[in-house]
Amino acid sequence: MTESLVNIKRYTLVRNTVIVWVTGVLLAGFLLDIPKISILEHTARNLYFHVPMWFTLMAAVFVSAYHSFKVLKSGDLLSDIRALQAARVGAFFGVLGLVTGIVWSKFTWYVGTDVWWNFDPRQSMVTLQLLIYGAYFVLRSALDDPLKRGRIAAVYNLFAATTTPFLLYVIPRQMQSLHPGAEGNPAFSEITHPIMRLVFYPAIIGFIGIFWVIYTQRVRTAFLKYRVTQDPEL
Amino acid sequence: MSTNPINILQDAQAQDQAAEINATAYDSLWAGGDIPIQELSRMEQIMLSNDKLYVVLAVVLIIWVGIVLLLLRNDRRLKEVERSVAERIPDMDDEL
Repeated sequence: MTESLVNIKRYTLVRNTVIVWVTGVLLAGFLLDIPKISILEHTARNLYFHVPMWFTLMAAVFVSAYHSFKVLKSGDLLSDIRALQAARVGAFFGVLGLVTGIVWSKFTWYVGTDVWWNFDPRQSMVTLQLLIYGAYFVLRSALDDPLKRGRIAAVYNLFAATTTPFLLYVIPRQMQSLHPGAEGNPAFSEITHPIMRLVFYPAIIGFIGIFWVIYTQRVRTAFLKYRVTQDPEL
Repeated sequence: MSTNPINILQDAQAQDQAAEINATAYDSLWAGGDIPIQELSRMEQIMLSNDKLYVVLAVVLIIWVGIVLLLLRNDRRLKEVERSVAERIPDMDDEL
């Protein structure tokens, strides 16, 4: 039964690859020399850790929306488990991204002020997006029947996924922001040294891999809970 | 107090120096009174180079190893529980 839920062999293979991969990314992220830029200095290395949080959130949103779509098509409770767990782990990475961004900006661009939060458009929009996902979890907790809950939550989750690209990418790029790609700020591709891309892209893959490992563990746990209590909510 | 970052840094350094005079026995070591007591060892030389960046790497690696061990342990536990649930609750022929 669990074999049909998660392919354990494939899971173990991917998990071990992720462990080795991320270890390599961490080593490269610290050991490779990067160009020294004033103000940024070593904090430029946050590119390897802070930015992948958002790519991971985006990947999680895709996974979650895909499974919510499947719930609406087939009423499959297993897809509902996957949609919820992807959203939960994705939101977790979103919070990590938000907090790391606050810390980075405070000690880099807001030095000499008491500012921790300066309403950077991207930060504000991302907070809004996380609240939208917060409402998804609250909505779920208000419904008791797993099948009905699956369908209603799937509709809302598709709405939440639809707002994500706009709040994370479209709107912040129309406004003044610390973030690359925004008005008054060059895009990522123009300012990033090749050696940093060498670490940055693998870091994205590595963190999405970590997401996938945690997500799969949670799906397995939720399924166990379903088998014992007839309710997969976790 | 100025809002110029450089002045703030200088103020902070001045405060540090003032604090050193009042350093207790407990913090006199890290307040910088007597170090280096001896020549830096090879490991210290490496760890302190590049603005002490490798100290951060060491911390991050320790955290990462901890997380990995936790993930592996979770998997072992999950496997155990999956096995015992499968034994106790026969397969359901539901639409799941």
